[in-house]
Amino acid sequence: MYKYDAYDHALVRERIDEFRDQVERRLDGRLTEDQFKPLRLMNGVYLQLHAYMLRVAIPYGTVNAPQLRTLAHIARKYDKGYGHFTTRTNIQYNWPALVDIPDILEDLAKVEMHAIQTSGNCIRNVTADPFAGAAADEIEDSRPWAEIIRQWSTFHPEFTFLPRKFKIAVNGATSDRAGIQVHDIGLQIVTNAAGETGFEVWVGGGQGRTPRLGQKIRDFLQPEDLLSYLTAILRVYNQHGRRDNLYKARIKILVEALGAGEFGRQTEEEWAEIRESELKLPAGEIARIRAFFGAPSVKNPQPVPTSGKPGFTGWLRRNRRDHKVEGLSSVVISLKPVGGTPGDITDDQLDIVADIAERYGFDEARATPDQNLVLPHVRNADLETVWDRLVEAGLATANAGLATDIVSCPGLDYCNLANARSIPIAQAISNLVDAEGLAEPVGDVTIKIDGCINACGHHHVAHIGVLGVDKRGEEFYQITLGGAFGTDASIGGIVGKGLAGDDVPGAVVRVLKTYLDIRDEDERFIDTLRRVGPDAFKESIYAAA
Amino acid sequence: MLQLERNPKARTLVDAQIEAGGGRIVEIPGEADWREAAEQVRGAVQVDIRFASFKDGRGFSLAALLRERAGFTGKLRAVGDLIPDQALHLKRVGFDDVAPETTGLDADWARARARFTHAYQPAQDQRAPVFRHRQARPQDNLAALNARYRGMSAEEILRDAIENEWAGKIAVLSSFGAEAAVGLHMIAQIAPDTPVVFLDTGRLFAQTEQYQQALSEQLGLTNIRVLTPDSAEAAEEDHDDRLWQRDPDACCALRKVRPLDRAIGDYDALITGRKRFHGGERMALPVVERIDGRVRVNPLASWDAEAVNAYFKRFDLPRHPLSDMGYASIGCWPCTAPVQDDGDVRSGRWQGRDKTECGIHAPAQRIAAE
Repeated sequence: MYKYDAYDHALVRERIDEFRDQVERRLDGRLTEDQFKPLRLMNGVYLQLHAYMLRVAIPYGTVNAPQLRTLAHIARKYDKGYGHFTTRTNIQYNWPALVDIPDILEDLAKVEMHAIQTSGNCIRNVTADPFAGAAADEIEDSRPWAEIIRQWSTFHPEFTFLPRKFKIAVNGATSDRAGIQVHDIGLQIVTNAAGETGFEVWVGGGQGRTPRLGQKIRDFLQPEDLLSYLTAILRVYNQHGRRDNLYKARIKILVEALGAGEFGRQTEEEWAEIRESELKLPAGEIARIRAFFGAPSVKNPQPVPTSGKPGFTGWLRRNRRDHKVEGLSSVVISLKPVGGTPGDITDDQLDIVADIAERYGFDEARATPDQNLVLPHVRNADLETVWDRLVEAGLATANAGLATDIVSCPGLDYCNLANARSIPIAQAISNLVDAEGLAEPVGDVTIKIDGCINACGHHHVAHIGVLGVDKRGEEFYQITLGGAFGTDASIGGIVGKGLAGDDVPGAVVRVLKTYLDIRDEDERFIDTLRRVGPDAFKESIYAAA
Repeated sequence: MLQLERNPKARTLVDAQIEAGGGRIVEIPGEADWREAAEQVRGAVQVDIRFASFKDGRGFSLAALLRERAGFTGKLRAVGDLIPDQALHLKRVGFDDVAPETTGLDADWARARARFTHAYQPAQDQRAPVFRHRQARPQDNLAALNARYRGMSAEEILRDAIENEWAGKIAVLSSFGAEAAVGLHMIAQIAPDTPVVFLDTGRLFAQTEQYQQALSEQLGLTNIRVLTPDSAEAAEEDHDDRLWQRDPDACCALRKVRPLDRAIGDYDALITGRKRFHGGERMALPVVERIDGRVRVNPLASWDAEAVNAYFKRFDLPRHPLSDMGYASIGCWPCTAPVQDDGDVRSGRWQGRDKTECGIHAPAQRIAAE
C-alpha cells in the first residue's frame, strides 16, 4: 500500500489548518454560506436532512488495518456507532457535529487519510478495480496509477472550480470492475503490439439525470504521458463544459454535443502542446509509487479447501475469487445481510475486519462499488479461519453477486436530494427474495436502487434497477432492465409506469421467476434478458400491480 | 489590490510603466476563448481577467493558457467575485495580483496565499511539483549516492545526510545498545537537535533505560523521541505478557515495527547503526538503502568491532552497563542473552530461534508474507 512521505503528510496537515480556518471564518461571517458551501463540500462535508454528513475518502478503495480502526473509532466517538460504505468506495458518517469535523480530520491524518475532494465540482476519488493487485485476470495493477492521479488532482490550481464534479476510473484487468464507461474519464490498461502497457482512454461516461456510456478517444497512451493527457481533457472541459445549466454541466454533455471525435481532436490538439513539459512523469516517480504495491507471496501454497464446516463451502463458492498468486484467494465480505441496510457497518465490525485483514490478509482490505468489502489477499490455508471470524461478526453472508446483494443509495432516510426512500425498498426486496428462496437458484444478478435521478445507487447500470420518483407528493418507483456496470456496460431501459413502493419487491421477484422459467441452461440473468429483450419481463412486473 | 507575489520583479517593472503613463491595460472576461484573448492582450502591459463568480473556474484555465501558450509576460490580475481561499490557485495559474470585490480581507488572502508548502502538480508559478522534489534529490538515485559516500568517513556521511541530503527530514534510530554511543556521539557533534528515535518496547533492560538517559545527557542530545507500543493493542495482543514466548515476530511487530511505522512518515530518512560485521543479512548492508519507499542511512556499515572499540576509547565514551557482562547486542530482556564463546555479535538475540532481526529494517511485504 502507498505510504505517505513528509510531503504527503504536510499537505494533509496544512489542509486541516485550512479547513479549521474556513469554519472559523464562516462562524464569524467572513465567509458567507454561499462561499463556504463549495469549500466544505471539497472537504467532504454535506448538510443532510437531519445533520451534517462527512464523506471520508478511501483512495481507490484501498484501506489497511490501522485505517479501518480509525474509521471504527470515528463511528464510535463522533457518530452513532456505524458508518456507510458508498458506491464510490468512500465511507460516510451521517451524524457528526460540524465542530467535531476538524478533530475527525486530525484522527484521519494520523493514519494517512482525509476527506479531500470527496465532493464539490472538482476531481473526486479515483475508482480502481477492488481486486487490483490480486485478480487472476489482471494485466497490470491499477493502484499505482490511481495514486499518481490522486496526487496530481489534489488541490489542482486549474481544475478545482470545474463546471461539475469529475470522476476518473482506472481498470487494469481484462474484466472491467472499475466501471470505466460510467466515469468522466475511464482508463483501461492494455498491452500494445510491442508488449508495453499503456492506457486506452474513454471519456464522457456518467450516470445521473442523463446516463451516458463513455466513448474511446485514444487506443494507446504511453504511461509517462498520463498527466499531460488528463490535463488536456480537463482543459477542454473546464473551458467549454456548460455552466448555464447544472443538469448539463457534466463532461458527458459536452462530449455528446461535440461528438467524441471532435472532443478527442480538441484534446489531442491541446495535448500536442503540453506533452513535452513538466507534466511528463519521471520514470523514477512511477517506479517509486509502484514499489509500494508489491504482490504478496506465499510459502507452501495450499489449494482452496473443498470441504469444511457447514456453510463454509457455500460461502467460498459465492464470495471467493481467484488470485493471481498460487496459494492465495480474494474474498468478498458482504455488507448485505438479508434485510439489512446495504453498505452499513458497525464500529465493532470495522475493528474485526481490521483484525482479520492484519492477521490473515496482508494488512489490506478494499471497498467496492457494490458497497461491500474485499480481503484481496488471503492464504487458502486461512480461508476457514477467516470465515469463522466473519461468521462471529455477522459478516459472512454468502451472497456476493446474488439478488440479495443489493446496492442502494441512502435515499430519503438521509439525503436532502432524494425524492423517495430507497433503503427500505432494498430491505423489502432482500427479505422477499430470501423468503422465496430465489437467491441461489437465480445466481448472478445485480439489483440497484436509487431515491432520485442523481443515481448514486447506480440503478442505470443494474440488471434490475429501481428508481424512486416523487409524483404529486407520493413515492413511485420505476423499474429499469438491462443495465450493466463494467464489462459490456449498458444503460438499463425504463420498462413502464411507476409502481407503488409496496409493489416493488413482488415485481422484482416475478422478474426473477420469469428468468428461471425462460432461461437456457446455465444462462445468466443478463444474458437471458439480452437474448429475449425486456418485453418478455414486462408482463411479470405489472402482473399483480 | 493584493499581491500574489508570483514574479515581483516583472510586476514592479510593469507598475512603473503604468505609473509613467505608458502601456495598455486590457480587461477580458474569464469565459473568453483563449485564442481570441491572446490577440486582444498582444502588446498590453496588464491584463485583468474578470471572474463573474468565484465558482466559475474558466478564468484559471484562461490565465494558464495566456501564460503558457500565448507567452504573455506582463501583469495578470484577477478581478471580480473571488474569495481568499482561491489565493494559491490564482497565483499558481499565473496571476500577479488580485482585486476582489469584497475588500477588507487582506489578512485572510495573505494567509491563504501561504497555506501550502508544496504542490503535487506543476503550474505557472515555477514551483517544482512534489514528484520533482522526490526525484531531484539524489537519495532517489541510491547507486550514485552510495558511490559518492564510498570514499567518505562516517562523520562526513552523517554531516552530508543531516545538513544537506535530508535536511530537516532525517532522524536517527537508536537502541541505546552496546555500540550506540559511536553514532550518537558523531551526531551530537554535527547537530545535537537531530531527532533520536528510541523504541521503548516496555521490555527493555532497566540498564538500557538508565543508559539512554545518561548518554543523552552527556552527549547533549536535545531531541529524543520515545516511541511506545499502543497500549490498547498491547492489552489485546499480549494480555499475559507472554507474547515474546508464543510468537516473537508478533511481539516485535507490536512493540517495535508498528510504533515505528506510525512515526516513520515524519522523516524521509533514518540513520541506523547497523554494521556488516553483525553478520546474517547485514553482511550485505549498503551505506544507503531504501525500505518501503524510505531511506536508511547506515554510515557505520563498514565498521568492525575493533573500530567501534577504538572510537569508544578515543572519546572516552561510557559503555552500556551490560556490555561488560558479555552482552554484545542488546534488545529486549526476554529475548537477549550474553554471547557465548566465539558466537557472532548478535547470536545472543532470540537465542534458539531462526529469528535474527526484529523487522524494523525489513520491507513490510516480506514480513506479511511470512
